Amino acid sequence: MNCEDVRVRLVDYQRGRLPAATHADVRAHLDGCADCTQAEAVEQELTSVLERRLPQHPASLALKRRLAAQWSPSPPVPPWWSRWQPAFAPAMAVAIVLVVGAPLLYYERTVSHERNEQAGMVAEAVNDHLRLLTSQHPLDIESGGIHQVKPWFEGRLDFAPMVPFEGDADFPLKGGAVGYFLDRKAAVLVYARRLHPISLLIFRAEGLAWPARGLTPVGGVDAYVGAERGFNVMMWRRGGLGYALVSDVDAGELKGLAVKLIGRS
Amino acid sequence: MSTVANEALGYVDALHNLARYLTGNETDAEDLVQETYARALRAEHQFTAGTNLKAWLFRILRNTFLSSYRRQRNNPTVGGLDTVDAYAQGPASETWLFDDLELDRLRKVVAEEIETALMTLSEEARTVILLDLEGLTEIEVAEVVNCPVGTVKSRLSRARAALRQKLKDYAR
Repeated sequence: MNCEDVRVRLVDYQRGRLPAATHADVRAHLDGCADCTQAEAVEQELTSVLERRLPQHPASLALKRRLAAQWSPSPPVPPWWSRWQPAFAPAMAVAIVLVVGAPLLYYERTVSHERNEQAGMVAEAVNDHLRLLTSQHPLDIESGGIHQVKPWFEGRLDFAPMVPFEGDADFPLKGGAVGYFLDRKAAVLVYARRLHPISLLIFRAEGLAWPARGLTPVGGVDAYVGAERGFNVMMWRRGGLGYALVSDVDAGELKGLAVKLIGRS
Repeated sequence: MSTVANEALGYVDALHNLARYLTGNETDAEDLVQETYARALRAEHQFTAGTNLKAWLFRILRNTFLSSYRRQRNNPTVGGLDTVDAYAQGPASETWLFDDLELDRLRKVVAEEIETALMTLSEEARTVILLDLEGLTEIEVAEVVNCPVGTVKSRLSRARAALRQKLKDYAR
């Protein structure tokens, strides 16, 4: 066995995947070859670096909860003729329970679960908007235009917010601030519609239980459109970032701003 | 919940880790894992009891990634093994690759460097390295990436050589 033969087998050798005879041949070669012994040490160190220092990315708890809720397969349906057995009545009873109960169980486990998490995100968006309205100094940076607001966020967030819309006569940009959305920092931009403030929250989207049902196509994305405590709310995600738009302006006007934001993000 | 489902959910961290290194971002990784489990659920009847469920799920994840994500992304890090630096694969590089200096450099590599280096490799290279780290045998890796066992052996060897080359570049 020459050096080339040994080199291509080093990983297998270290993993114990070689047949006994081949393993012994490699061992014998290594005992007499300094270069290959060095190569083996390097391969071993590379494995060690990968095992000990390569960052691991486990799934978020939110993802695990979603998967556990979604993966609840129905039991196999018995062949139809089996119902013509002496146990006809119990079988029919079971079938009825399945027909009636399975959707209810499904609703309980998935839809209601999703709605709870979704409601939590909507409530958080509205709370953030209310905090802004009641704050003595709601804006950290008063807008002198997008070119003042956008650079202001640099160094204040752990992500680069896409500030997608500079404002216009219908929706002037009033300013920005740094806030929190649930467990993470958020860029808060405040637009206005007449005298009504509109909060746009931008935050990292990963790890959140984003609504997957009942979404509305808005400007090329599927957005959640809803209302909470008298405020209209729209939420969507794009490019790894989440966006939440909250205001007491009517839903049509809020959608108009969303289209402008999405079109430029 | 079935036994298969219970066992499958136990692999979500490993699947997410591979998904994260394939897609390069958290949002796409979560979507990929969700889609993997959805497909696995639909194909549960095709799974042969007694075979390796983890490898089966990895295969679904990778196929989902290739079919759904690869076309959508204009990602220079996603490609065939051809994208691996040929210099790292040739015997000419072996002389410096295994010297004391390289060993010393490897011992000083930090997490960010090894992650960045891994992400510069092709999708195939990243996959075989990560599946090997997950403890899959070469036969199981071959099933995941749908190629002969001998090909897995050579791909893993070339991928590790390319990774060492990248780490060496960073050390300069």
